[in-house]
Amino acid sequence: MKFNLFLAATALAFGAITTTPVLAEEVTLKLWSRADRSGPLRAGNIVTAADQLNRAFAAAGSDTRVKIDLIETNAKGFDADALDLLKAHSVGDTPDIAVAAHEWIGSFVEAGFAANLEPHIAANAAMYADIIPQLWTSVMYKGDRYGIPQDSEVRMFFVNNDILRKAGKSEDFIAGLPAAVEAGEFTMYDWCDLGAEAVNSGAAKIGWVHRPNVGPDFQMAMAAFGIDIYNDDAAKLQITKSGLTEYYGWLKYCVGNGSLPADMTSYSWDSTHAAFRGGDAMGKFHGIWNVGAQLEAFGLTGEDDYFHKLTWIHAPAGIKGGAPKNLSHPVVYVVGDTPNKDLAALLVAMASQHVPNTAHAVGTNHTPINYGQTAMPEFQDGGWALIKGTPMLKYAEFMPNHAKIGQYNAITYTGVQAVETGEMTPEDAAEMVIEELEVELGDDVIILD
Amino acid sequence: MSRPTNLITRGAGAPPPPVMTQASRQTTNALVFLGPACVFLLCLLVIPIFVDLVVAFTDMSQTVRIDGFTTKQFEKLAKPSPEALLGFELRGSFYRALSLSAVYVVCTLAIFNISFALILALTTTALPDWLGGLYRAIWLLPRMSPSVVYGLLWLWTIDPTGRGLLNQVLAVAGLDPVNPKLDAPLTVIVVANGFIGASIGMLILTSAIRSIPQHLFYAARADGAGSLSIVRHIVLPALRWPLSYITVFQSLALLVSFEYIFLIMGPARQTMTMAMLAYTKTLAPGIGSGQYAYGAAITLILIVIGMAVALILWRLSNMKRLLTRPRIEVQ
Repeated sequence: MKFNLFLAATALAFGAITTTPVLAEEVTLKLWSRADRSGPLRAGNIVTAADQLNRAFAAAGSDTRVKIDLIETNAKGFDADALDLLKAHSVGDTPDIAVAAHEWIGSFVEAGFAANLEPHIAANAAMYADIIPQLWTSVMYKGDRYGIPQDSEVRMFFVNNDILRKAGKSEDFIAGLPAAVEAGEFTMYDWCDLGAEAVNSGAAKIGWVHRPNVGPDFQMAMAAFGIDIYNDDAAKLQITKSGLTEYYGWLKYCVGNGSLPADMTSYSWDSTHAAFRGGDAMGKFHGIWNVGAQLEAFGLTGEDDYFHKLTWIHAPAGIKGGAPKNLSHPVVYVVGDTPNKDLAALLVAMASQHVPNTAHAVGTNHTPINYGQTAMPEFQDGGWALIKGTPMLKYAEFMPNHAKIGQYNAITYTGVQAVETGEMTPEDAAEMVIEELEVELGDDVIILD
Repeated sequence: MSRPTNLITRGAGAPPPPVMTQASRQTTNALVFLGPACVFLLCLLVIPIFVDLVVAFTDMSQTVRIDGFTTKQFEKLAKPSPEALLGFELRGSFYRALSLSAVYVVCTLAIFNISFALILALTTTALPDWLGGLYRAIWLLPRMSPSVVYGLLWLWTIDPTGRGLLNQVLAVAGLDPVNPKLDAPLTVIVVANGFIGASIGMLILTSAIRSIPQHLFYAARADGAGSLSIVRHIVLPALRWPLSYITVFQSLALLVSFEYIFLIMGPARQTMTMAMLAYTKTLAPGIGSGQYAYGAAITLILIVIGMAVALILWRLSNMKRLLTRPRIEVQ
């Protein structure tokens, strides 16, 4: 009898233990994001969205709960992070959501990681109706969307107005500069001449600086010389020898007239920032997120103060009458092709709404992904620079979402190094770069001439 | 000289003690003393070389997947050319990396790792002990500093602006500022690596000089030999083996080193040696990396070159004699 009672008690206890988890279903989604102080809410907004969803489940009397397992990596940049992500995916550790730089989408699709989001976007059209249309280009691969823009930015040429004034330029000239660029009257060569004039007059120590390493910024300068680096129809990268020679020729011209330091490619990031923010350089091309640091460095207090000191222009056209260019390099949410992809996509949709995205955008100086965000009080109060930058997006180029864009950029950058340091002529550099592109990228690149 | 296997005479009727033959004792000793080293060599040397060999003949890239075996990574380094002596021609970037590696290794080795190390060893052993020790400690500082700190110090030293230490010194001397990273990039990496490499050579050579019996110096002095004669006829002959060892070891170490090159010069074309090329194509973030098979192919060639260099230097310096058994046995 005692033995039977013991058995019954054991069975009941075992039943209680084993049935409890069955009643409440917990769905765990793995979220991959690099630990990035410049954008903690990229992952944070997904976690908040999961909390919101759990409250909805609770209100509906459902026991289902969504748990976010945040995989926060310590990769040095988005490229290193994407390579780590691909390695994790290749050993079966595929996250449900990943925060990534958009140009990796091609690699993610080819590796079988990224889910096609067209059905999700179509089914939830209202949640995406206000997204700035140009930003969708950044998540396209072979005609379909494989990501949702998480933030955007605009890269441009910053000009120090005080240096122009010191160099003898009138207020009319300074105020008319953006319009002259948009009209195609002020060219890339004029930009270098202006930098040289600032140096020769003693108003600046350096004409202008660009990024000191491989990166997307150079694409807008290449685009200004008519180089379209992606063939949409063939889904391949492409290059023209004549365009490349012209682009390298322009860099050589800038080094030659003293506006661009010959050792620019061996600068550190600190020296590059210090050159412009320290008032030594007349111009710099980089991204809108620099505004915060510029306000601090120049001791500026607000919008009027800022635009009295600095002017923004697109990358001017290569030739007179051409179109100016700039670049946006959005970070995106990618949904993994996992059994939880529908739920993961829904969380991404929730995190992409105006309020959570504005919290990220204003806090980190990124332009919004939805048009309506610029009307929100947070943007009106603290995001004047972002509101000003948003119209520039209509001239925005994006890096192609091709698996080998990183290699392409690295190889074209070797030409920049060779020309600026005086090691090669623009013609030789173009020749060398095209040979390297053919050798390393093979069928993935089309040589147009 | 052989020894009896069992020196204990057993008493009649006593149980036989456990017998350990010389052979089994040697096996045990070998396992205990050489086992860990063998495992270490296998895991960190043999297996990586084997993995590198396999990966070099695949198309492994960003996803770390192998879809098939191919020789296309090597086609990126050389192309067939009927006119060439060996039937192939090296591609531009690879030829350049090979040349830069040769110049970098030979210059660093000859100027710093051997010559400068020898000068340091000779001068610091000629000084009073405390002063020589102080100089050696100072020269060991770069070796003891973390790589990143050493790299940053170099960056600050050669900064092309007025903030750079070198330019501050030149300004005091009334000279124009210089920009070594632009005008002499190879010199920068040779000197930066040389300062580190010289310290190891200095230690080995100092120890070798110290082990020369003092009576030889006294005898030489008694015979009227000057300092230079003593160096030439007593010290240098005694340094033959240490110098041979330093040459072989350091040339191999320099061939595969890229740490300081990357920290100081970044992925600059002017200092893109073989090891740097392999690193930038595989692991260096943000500069077109993720081409694991391509990097493995470059590394495989580097391994082959390293083996060839080691064998040639082994032969030239007659290292075999250094490692042969002594002809007399000291008990």
